[in-house]
Amino acid sequence: MIQICLNCLLLSALLLLISIGLNIIYGISRVVNLAHGSLYALGAYFGYSMVSYGVNFYAALLLAPLLAGLCGVVLERLIIEPIRHRDMTYTLILTYGLSVFIDGMFKFIWSDKVQFIQMPSSLRGTLNLFGVHYPNYRLFVLAATVCVILGLLALLEKTKLGMIMRAASTIPEMVSALGVNMKLVHMGVFGLGCVLAGIGGVIAGPLLSVYPMMGSEMLLSCFVVLVIGGLGSLRGAILASLLVGTAQTLGFVFLTDFAMVIVYLMMAVILLFMPKGLLAEGKFD
Amino acid sequence: MSTILSTNSLCRHFGGVRAVNDVTIAIRDKSVKAVIGPNGAGKTTLFNTITGRLPATAGTVVFDGRDITNSPVHERVKLGICRTFQINSLFLGATVFENVRIAKQTRMGKSLKIFSKRDSLADVNEATFEILEKVGLGGKASELANTLSYGDQRSLEVAIALAGDPKILLLDEPTAGMSQLETNNIIRLIQKLVKEIAVVLVEHDVDMVLSISDSISVMHQGSIIGEGTPDEICKNQRVREAYLGDENGH
Amino acid sequence: MEKAIGNKKDRKGLVIQALVLLALVLLPFVLGNKFYLRLVTEIIIYGLLAMSLDVLLGFTGLLSFMHAAYMGIGAYTVAVFLSYVDPGASIWVTFPLGIAVTVVLAFAAGWLQVRTGGFAFALLTVAFGMMYYTLVWKARSITCGDDGLCGLPKPDISLGPIVLGNMNDSLTAYFFTLAVVAVCFFVTRRIMHSPFGAVLESIRENTERASFIGINVRNYKLMGWMLACTLAGISGVLFTYMKGSVSPTLMDARAGGIVLMMTLLGGMGTLWGAFIGAAAYIFLQDFISAMTENWMVFLGLAVILLTLFMPKGLADLPIRLGQRLTRQRSNL
Repeated sequence: MIQICLNCLLLSALLLLISIGLNIIYGISRVVNLAHGSLYALGAYFGYSMVSYGVNFYAALLLAPLLAGLCGVVLERLIIEPIRHRDMTYTLILTYGLSVFIDGMFKFIWSDKVQFIQMPSSLRGTLNLFGVHYPNYRLFVLAATVCVILGLLALLEKTKLGMIMRAASTIPEMVSALGVNMKLVHMGVFGLGCVLAGIGGVIAGPLLSVYPMMGSEMLLSCFVVLVIGGLGSLRGAILASLLVGTAQTLGFVFLTDFAMVIVYLMMAVILLFMPKGLLAEGKFD
Repeated sequence: MSTILSTNSLCRHFGGVRAVNDVTIAIRDKSVKAVIGPNGAGKTTLFNTITGRLPATAGTVVFDGRDITNSPVHERVKLGICRTFQINSLFLGATVFENVRIAKQTRMGKSLKIFSKRDSLADVNEATFEILEKVGLGGKASELANTLSYGDQRSLEVAIALAGDPKILLLDEPTAGMSQLETNNIIRLIQKLVKEIAVVLVEHDVDMVLSISDSISVMHQGSIIGEGTPDEICKNQRVREAYLGDENGH
Repeated sequence: MEKAIGNKKDRKGLVIQALVLLALVLLPFVLGNKFYLRLVTEIIIYGLLAMSLDVLLGFTGLLSFMHAAYMGIGAYTVAVFLSYVDPGASIWVTFPLGIAVTVVLAFAAGWLQVRTGGFAFALLTVAFGMMYYTLVWKARSITCGDDGLCGLPKPDISLGPIVLGNMNDSLTAYFFTLAVVAVCFFVTRRIMHSPFGAVLESIRENTERASFIGINVRNYKLMGWMLACTLAGISGVLFTYMKGSVSPTLMDARAGGIVLMMTLLGGMGTLWGAFIGAAAYIFLQDFISAMTENWMVFLGLAVILLTLFMPKGLADLPIRLGQRLTRQRSNL
């Protein structure tokens, strides 16, 4: 029982790490990034390569996301910036193409074998929690996610950078009139989102497997989180990832094959009664 | 004259901000009502709540004896409540003619004719040209909406709203950004229209408001602080302090 | 006044499209090779699917990432019926049945989807598409899972008591498919040129303004969606008739992306562009997959480049050419 609860939390934590990046990018730049899952996978692959070349796991946990973030910044500048003024449909299609491209590149570079990131030896073994043995690594994932999310909230609430970003999400014209380069803000935000996805990727590497379609599969659940929670709402994202993580985990336990059907149905029902999601901040479309 | 549209303690709050607070106004048929007030007074929000763009937080909107507070936008339009937008809202990729025709066609209930050609409905075409002539866009019918000058686009806004055969027409700053000549055309149009229907204006041009309105409501911080004929409004002390006073002070 | 209403251009397009149809009718007599005839048949079927997405995306402005799911539903309905109920069923039974099942399932999804717009709409198409796909894929006892249903009997094409031919014959298959698709194309074309089509376009151009001229946006979005899904269902039925087999790859996420790609490649908002897109895509895929297994990379790259540099697709080329020719003629 405790084990199932912890597993629900674990998936929720991963979902939150990835979807919160999506959420920030949408909230500030109004870009729905369908390639976000692929950047999560990119983080995982970078982590995998580093660890298998003997880099310390913790170092990889720091470096791989930064690399993924760098890729994100470059992609933003190269292909998303030029079509920012166009209709949202085009961004959706473009980032969709990007995800297909990146997923294809994984096969090209890393082959489509299923791989695992080597777990650091210090985190092997289990911990006795109220009579249940639970793997240390999973507890580490939970703790790390909480730290990252707290750090992110602190960044958004307490620093000047966070202030600019929050202001840019409501009145971009004003912010750019104050001399802030909005292009840089968009690039930075996109990079930040990718770093978060990258952390998710490395952290998930030893748990879930690393394979080319991992990102696109994860992305679907993340979008469910985003839509249920309400676009642009951070609190909504936290609530929704708990909901989706729980539903999906329980679905896999009790329904196996049809787990995702439950998640989609849940989203459909919630949208039926609350078309803007649970905690929308009125920025939907 | 009878009241065509009224609001009863209408409220629209955004979180803690009371953009429209306890507003009760009545608009008489075949009259011009102006809603004035400083920026951020809640005039456009009032329009949005009346026309269904935003749901009301509390209170009611009654049109022609019918409670329409919760009716969807398209049903209000069908009843004859048409509006223009402060920021032009047009079908930019279509021609002037097509912009008005789609509205006219909807009004005349021809939208479900799936097997006739859209340009073969003679009655719709005729009615469309009539409206274009009325607002002075007859000569520009085949131009694309996004190639029009700003003033012409404002006129097209009005033409689209007129195509809905309104019983009450709500104009949100119709003359903003228009030249004096264009403004005069709009004034003349309003004076012609008001013989048949009610017109509600949000306007910053005080001279214009005073010259054509039958009744003026002054909004300040979400509430109505004065109401009456242009003369009464000019004499109203509270209004002078809150609104006109501001202007004189600068 | 005439100029503003302007219906001359439309007639010219119709003539050109009728000529292309005539050329397609004559094609089998020029093309001796049966393999190519089958390929062209497949292109026409996928062209219909891409065109149906164009109704949704190019005219109504709604994006569906999983449009292939509704082709799959039509295809699987016929396949399951032929395998389990009546292998000798007439097309007059299976064709309407395939459409009916697609319409029912599309309505369930559409009814909810049209309450949203933009991104949420697109995402819900994924949710429902994946849901239908998972149901088909995982219901192994009926659909045989990954293996799909193979070796289905191919139906006779009959008009009342007269049998015109069997789908096994590639010439019959070609003409039957061409006839059905041509009817679908010209009917859809007519509908898109009607006042109804104008309403869909107004929703694409400016949804809010559309509701403020009195259009019930939800209803019209639903009608556009239903039209698009019905056409997709028809393409699915045709697919099963022609191939005699179905598999889940017909309706998975990648298939959804491929349809989108065809519509984009062809150019949105033209209907006929979709057929060009389907042709270009199927030829390209044949060509690339002969050289490399990793054609996903090229698919993705093509989507990116197209959106960046050619958002109007291949259909834009003949249009521009036509405009240039008219201009030259008027200069002379």
